[in-house]
Amino acid sequence: MMTRHTGAPNPHALIIGAGIAGMQAALDIANSGYEVTLVEKLPSIGGHMAQLSETFPTLDCAQCILTPRTVEVGHHPNIHLITYAEVEDIQGEVGHFRARIRRRAAGVNWDICTGCGVCIEKCPTRVESDFDMGLGRRKAIYTLSPQAVPNKPIIDKARCRFFTQGKCRVCEKFCPTGAIAYDQEDALFEIEAGAVILATGYDLYDVTRLGEYGAGQVPDVISGLAFERLLSASGPTAGKIRRPSDGREPKEVVFVQCAGSRDPEKAMPYCSTICCMYTAKHAMLYRHRVPNGQAYVFYIDIRTAGRRYEEFLQRAVEEDRVLYLRGKVSKIFRDGDKVVVWGADTLSGQQVEIAADMVVLATAIVPRPETRRLAELLGIDVDAHGFLQEVNPNLEPVSTRRPGVFIAGAAVGPRDIPETVAQASAAAAKVLALFARWQAVPEVVHAGEN
Amino acid sequence: MPAKTKAHRIGLFVCHCGLNIAGTVDIPQVLDAFKDAPAVLVALDYKYMCSEPGQELIRRKIAEEKLDGIVVAACSPTMHEATFRRNAESAGLNPYRVEIANIREQVSWVHAKDPDAATRKAIEVIRTIIEKVRYDEELLPFTLPVVRRALVIGGGIAGIQAALDIAEAGFPVLLVEREAQLGGRMAQLSGTYLNFESAGDLLAQKLDALRARPEITVLTESEVESLNGYVGNFTVRIRRRGEDQVQEASVGAIVVATGFDLYPMKQLPEYGAGAVPDVISGLEMEALLRPDGPTGGRVLRPSDGRPPKEVVFVQCAGSRDPEHAMPYCSKICCMYTAKQARLFCRQSPDGQAYVFYIDIRSGGKGAEEFVQAAMEEERVLYLRGKVSKIFRDGDKVIVWGADTLSGQQVEIAADLVVLATAVVPRADARDLAQRLRVGTDAHGFFNEAHPKLRPVESLTAGIYLAGAAQGPKDIPETLSQASAAAAKVLSLFSRHELVQEPTIAWVDPELCSACQLCVPACPYEARRPHPWKPLVTVNAALCQGCGACATVCPNKASKLRNYTPEQVLAMVDVLFAPAKAQEGA
Repeated sequence: MMTRHTGAPNPHALIIGAGIAGMQAALDIANSGYEVTLVEKLPSIGGHMAQLSETFPTLDCAQCILTPRTVEVGHHPNIHLITYAEVEDIQGEVGHFRARIRRRAAGVNWDICTGCGVCIEKCPTRVESDFDMGLGRRKAIYTLSPQAVPNKPIIDKARCRFFTQGKCRVCEKFCPTGAIAYDQEDALFEIEAGAVILATGYDLYDVTRLGEYGAGQVPDVISGLAFERLLSASGPTAGKIRRPSDGREPKEVVFVQCAGSRDPEKAMPYCSTICCMYTAKHAMLYRHRVPNGQAYVFYIDIRTAGRRYEEFLQRAVEEDRVLYLRGKVSKIFRDGDKVVVWGADTLSGQQVEIAADMVVLATAIVPRPETRRLAELLGIDVDAHGFLQEVNPNLEPVSTRRPGVFIAGAAVGPRDIPETVAQASAAAAKVLALFARWQAVPEVVHAGEN
Repeated sequence: MPAKTKAHRIGLFVCHCGLNIAGTVDIPQVLDAFKDAPAVLVALDYKYMCSEPGQELIRRKIAEEKLDGIVVAACSPTMHEATFRRNAESAGLNPYRVEIANIREQVSWVHAKDPDAATRKAIEVIRTIIEKVRYDEELLPFTLPVVRRALVIGGGIAGIQAALDIAEAGFPVLLVEREAQLGGRMAQLSGTYLNFESAGDLLAQKLDALRARPEITVLTESEVESLNGYVGNFTVRIRRRGEDQVQEASVGAIVVATGFDLYPMKQLPEYGAGAVPDVISGLEMEALLRPDGPTGGRVLRPSDGRPPKEVVFVQCAGSRDPEHAMPYCSKICCMYTAKQARLFCRQSPDGQAYVFYIDIRSGGKGAEEFVQAAMEEERVLYLRGKVSKIFRDGDKVIVWGADTLSGQQVEIAADLVVLATAVVPRADARDLAQRLRVGTDAHGFFNEAHPKLRPVESLTAGIYLAGAAQGPKDIPETLSQASAAAAKVLSLFSRHELVQEPTIAWVDPELCSACQLCVPACPYEARRPHPWKPLVTVNAALCQGCGACATVCPNKASKLRNYTPEQVLAMVDVLFAPAKAQEGA
């Protein structure tokens, strides 16, 4: 498409995805005095990091370090936050992109909702919580977490009694401001932006595709992200380790790394980068919470490359007595109230069988399907798996072949939080350099320090 | 002028921090202790006080109860003091009447095994901080101009990238490089991994871009001798090698990108390093593989110039070895070893490459596939185990190692051995860190402000970090970090002035005897004797509020705003006589 523009280029950034990558990029740009529209698919910001318990290698609680960022983003005068929304179309070119954004109908008028939470309390319908990876329950009108930004609820129309059975309206009755709006429609926004940053994050490899690991059939075989929710103080068990099947505290837990990674024949050929460290953290935190429990880790190689990571792993092995077994797991199945793990220990050359109480699979990091759709809209490349493609992976790690379109975070490939944050700031630098060339140095509105 | 009235309508807000605090400290008991405390109008708790509902609660109470001071009992003030001050300010409270009682790092985390003692201590900590707030003045911050020019220390790929990004936004940059040429380690490399691009070509692209930027001034063979000042207004002295003349420059922000060294070969005698000529480091192998290198890109052994047939690569030479060398993983060796083994095999089809490893660390996009290709296409033989000894035998280099997978001892009579020696900080990194007043870790890598969320900031405002000076990292990660550091600089330069904290020192002219003890005590050179009056003055722009002057002053004339002697004594009083203080209600 060749649209000619005569107007001045627009120093306004569109950032798609409000996980830690999108938020960091938004803050760096907004704190430099430029406006940002930040679009998030979920009802609130924070991405996967909001689901995490503690972070390696310092064991800082994720909420503690994340909430200052989410609050800052939520209040920043230069950041226009559009959550529960998706970018439907993007036209134009650097300096003059035009995006159409659809905000889904929440069933709640957020302009008058105060976030008091009475609707959630009164809602009679409890359903499985996606945010808690199915381990906890939420109401049919809900926010993702008590720290949600914005702290406004949405109605799950597939589960809400009023939407499915035509009666209930309890939330409407109790809402003190009359914010419930069952007939609310999707809202469409057209925005103009001079540059775009894609920071759409990652998904996990679908555990149910790992049939030989009992995933999806054996309730006590869960994903690493589900284990994060069990560890989280604000999770479904308030941080207590309880197995899903019967709520008992598991005494033997087996962690299986590379579940779907490094497996070119059956799943993903690449290494997901973050699993070795988070598994070491999981095993360590499990041992802290269940001091008489035993943690086993099956691994191919232990990949703790990064500052203070090797030392962290050594702590897990030496202080917390986590037992590392080098080998692949061949089969996981239920036997009575145990979960039996068959694996190899390639160092002793023995086959190993562990009758565990719970199994945690470090499932592979995979790109999100919508990343490919957005890449197509923007005319940029993805690799064979669907990760965003850098224009030159060695030299230009945040640039794409399309001028004015930049990329950051796990949508580009598996990476941990510090690398994601650095990359997000790097994408912001590229945008700032562009904007600076378009106009004299801007006047600045500051919400905070950086 | 600051208000002198004591705060008498104080709000106490106790954070659970999920289970971080509430799991140890008995929150209801804490709240109960302040139910009738003097001047405390409200005492409330919330699961996460830093979250929006928590902040909203504070704002509402400030308005409803007309609070004139608040105490947030939560995590360390380094985490959230700014958050809570900003929040209180938006509700109309002077932000310097907001204090944090640290009941997480200093209470719940360190006394997790004794909840009763932790609860008692939490109450005592809060009680003293409430006393502090009562004496806090309502201060106003002041502003200082920003010098919008950056200094980049180190002209490797990290420094070049940071300078480019800053310059592209139109700001002047001073790029200081110790060597005669820019390029750093990248100029020594043959190619990159994953796609074998020529490192020289990639570097040349960046250098071309650099030369095209009039905003960048390059000073080679130069080093930073000293640094004074503060964020937005640093004064740097730069000395050019062999010259007496020292150049002085004003800069507003600094990017430290001084790169890395390799672990010295001579410290690996069991590997024959330094003694056996055909035992070389990974960087020496790069020179052999570089098309513009001494051998024109042909791998030839140093001893006799013959092409080797059997090459052994030894990973973790000095890494992951807490007893003898460095405890950490150097991160880049697994990938560059695979690259070197592949390049060697490609030019010597009848050659054989062996790699000894502990774990193969090929994380990230395309890396695993790259190593798999080394095994499948170039038939590189990977052996999992440590090498115990390397020595010369005739014209061979013998490698004794273990293969932990077969449980066998292995002996290879090799023609050449390449040691992937550990990435270590520059020998003088600690010196530089001291001159810049930024922290390093035990090894000498520069410390970032927060390992997760502030990876390119140092703890000193206005000084940012990029590349391997902060820890081992590969080229793409280095470039991301360099651009990220540039983003921080650009954000700083977007403002014409900076807000300065008013919690700094001042001198009471009534009490000062001009003894001048405080002048040398000040680490920031913020003190000068008054030109004619018998007293000492404070340069508010330089003062960082550390309090060194206040401790040396014999007359208590030097005081820190909101940390006055009266305030501290009042805090001590309630700490040691809590019952008495409570009776005072």
